[in-house]
Amino acid sequence: MFVAMAILPTRSEAIAAAQERGQRIVAVLPIHYPRELLRAHGFHPVEVWGPPGIEPTEGNVHFQAYTCAIIQNAISLLIRGGLDVADAVLVPNSCDALQGAGSVLKDFVKPKHSVLTLYPPRATRESDMVYFAEELKRLGAALTALSGVAPDEEALHSAIATEEAADRAALQLASARMQTALGDLDFYSLLRTREYLAPDAFVALAQEAATSTAPTPVAPDSSVPVMLSGIVPEPMQIFTELGAMGAHVVADDFACMSRRFYPAAAASGDPFRRMAERLLGSPPDPMRGSPILERCDYLLGRLRDAGAKGLIVYDVKFCEPELFDLPMVRQRLVDEGFPVLHLEVELTGSLPGQTLTRMEAFVETLQ
Amino acid sequence: MSLWPELRYLSAVHLVGGPALRWVRWSDARKLRNFRRPDSPLHPPLVSTARMKELMARHYLAGQYANGVKKVAWVTSGAPVEVLKALGFHLFYPENHAAMCGARRKAQGLIEEAEQAGYSQDICSYARTDMGAALSGKHPLVGLPRPDLLLACTNICQTVLHWYRVLAAHFGAPLVLVDTPFLYDGAEQHQVDYVRRQIEEMIPVAEQVAGKRLSHARFTEVIEKSKEACELWLQVLERARTRPSPLTAFDCFVNMGPIVDLRGDETTLTFYRQLLAELDDRIARGVGAVKDERKRVLWDNLPIWFRIGRLSKFLAKRGVNVVAATYTNAWAELAPMMDPTRPMDSMARVYLHALLNRSAGDKLATMHKLIEGYSIDGVILHSDRSCKPYSLGQMDQCERLAKGLGVAAVLLDADHNDPRAYADEPVEGRLEAFVETLEAS
Repeated sequence: MFVAMAILPTRSEAIAAAQERGQRIVAVLPIHYPRELLRAHGFHPVEVWGPPGIEPTEGNVHFQAYTCAIIQNAISLLIRGGLDVADAVLVPNSCDALQGAGSVLKDFVKPKHSVLTLYPPRATRESDMVYFAEELKRLGAALTALSGVAPDEEALHSAIATEEAADRAALQLASARMQTALGDLDFYSLLRTREYLAPDAFVALAQEAATSTAPTPVAPDSSVPVMLSGIVPEPMQIFTELGAMGAHVVADDFACMSRRFYPAAAASGDPFRRMAERLLGSPPDPMRGSPILERCDYLLGRLRDAGAKGLIVYDVKFCEPELFDLPMVRQRLVDEGFPVLHLEVELTGSLPGQTLTRMEAFVETLQ
Repeated sequence: MSLWPELRYLSAVHLVGGPALRWVRWSDARKLRNFRRPDSPLHPPLVSTARMKELMARHYLAGQYANGVKKVAWVTSGAPVEVLKALGFHLFYPENHAAMCGARRKAQGLIEEAEQAGYSQDICSYARTDMGAALSGKHPLVGLPRPDLLLACTNICQTVLHWYRVLAAHFGAPLVLVDTPFLYDGAEQHQVDYVRRQIEEMIPVAEQVAGKRLSHARFTEVIEKSKEACELWLQVLERARTRPSPLTAFDCFVNMGPIVDLRGDETTLTFYRQLLAELDDRIARGVGAVKDERKRVLWDNLPIWFRIGRLSKFLAKRGVNVVAATYTNAWAELAPMMDPTRPMDSMARVYLHALLNRSAGDKLATMHKLIEGYSIDGVILHSDRSCKPYSLGQMDQCERLAKGLGVAAVLLDADHNDPRAYADEPVEGRLEAFVETLEAS
């Protein structure tokens, strides 16, 4: 048994460790951003995907009810001091809602933190690469202004290599999903430590888990293999509930996980170009403007490779980029024999009964 | 190549449609000139509106028969269309089509078609209207041409990219993206360069689809006319600075079709000159659009297309004239930035600086300017659940307008095109309270 699960580091512990190393903390909202650039400038990124179970009182003061819970909860947490440990907040422009969140934070909320922004391009043409490298330089200059650290090219390449190793470890771990000794909740909790752990700490955990072989099958033969997609698996109760319903998760397409398994890029030349190529080379994602048919093909390949019998799309309510893709994705997968269930959640502390009922019915149809 | 499409286009658009639409315009204009309704709180509508309807109807008629005659591009409302226009594309604006369907109460059926195809009620109602039309083949107003090219520019929202990805997959047409980094602060050079490069990269793609090379003389001519149209549109809007205002923002919503769809055309210039002349005549005679204009209001966000008439009358009856709108101003405010002598660079800057591509604080600053310039007493902020980039930030803007400037402000929950997300009673109740606040101030 992989014993590290019992002592999986928490966000607070990771933050304390980073501070001991003399790093500043930057709270990062979803989705794509250059971890290596932050680290090279002396920052330790800690991602904020909601979190679930927050009463969004402060968020409701600034954002309409049709704004997604990730933003409502994150802004509430920030205003009530839950992110005070951070020196800066980075809000990547991932969608119209996060764009609004960044703008409102900078112009109106004006927290004590520095508010940093980043606009990733929505395509992967040469002009996008050129622009994004420049945009990353702009972010780097803003980070230097905050920390006083101005890394040279060698330091940047070194930071990139470290993150590439962590991404490789995450990908290897995800690929070996069914060979590990971990249940779904433990496995995905471990993968999600990438959101706040230092890369070397993550690599150590991931390698330990990947090499630990299962003494007994992770799931009984009768259990139904499914794949999950969406933004973030919160509340994480979804994994235990699926297990109780007779299903197990063999692969994911979550924005917080496998959509951010960035590939390695050419190690020579401009480090900003290298970062741009890495970030824009990740799997298809509507937030990066990926064509829908390309995403359909990708999901189909993942479903087949993982041996999944169906896909559960687990979205946060009001996520327009996800909602636009859904009908064509569903149609294509259903045509190829993969049923699709779409669920929308509000990032509350627990899953609503109606959601559980729909999950249960879906799993039954797959059995 | 078959002659049939050419003959069909010629007969439908020029031989039959043109004269028929001219007759309709003449008939409408006569009705408007003789319009008498003593009990209405509004003076008669602008006669020029008949000309606008003719222009737009002719444009849509030409679109209906364009396939096989002209290349057709579906474009977003903030897209840099000058290249396509110069290459002779027929430009179809799905947003404008959706708005027309909304204004004529034909949107709901199309929206429901999109929802039946699996598109959520939580996505933009313009997108649902047009995807409903494209997917179902139902066209309650006019037949839609099939696109040979799609052009999406993200300067109005990211929604258009997702929407056009759906259209690209459905029609199998090439999609050109002009991605405009959001301006949290002032524009930086790498952002301008990025937009300029994309516009430049669009040219060979568009040339290939069009089957011809871009004439730079024609391109310059289109930009000059586009700039002049925006300047004329700005003058039209600024006539509302007069007290009483000869027009309402609702008139501007109705008459903005040509500046969105037909900028770069000579007929658009003629139309806005004619409209200006009519407005100047009203000003000279002291005729206001609202008979008893006591309070002047700014509208923020898209109109509620299916309630324009009712809201206009509701407010006019209470002596309120909505004299300006951030939305209509968006097609006017950037006219000075356009420079035909530096077409690529100035287009990049213009399209990067679209209102919805600027920060929430910048939008508030724009409201401040309009409040001062148009002697505004209050602001109606339409919290449009279909338009997040416009709406997020309004809660703070509303508070700052009220507390910082002492201007009465109200947030109105609605949707620009989905009537199911709207109810008269609560909206009018809030507006009633808003008017009372205005009168007390």
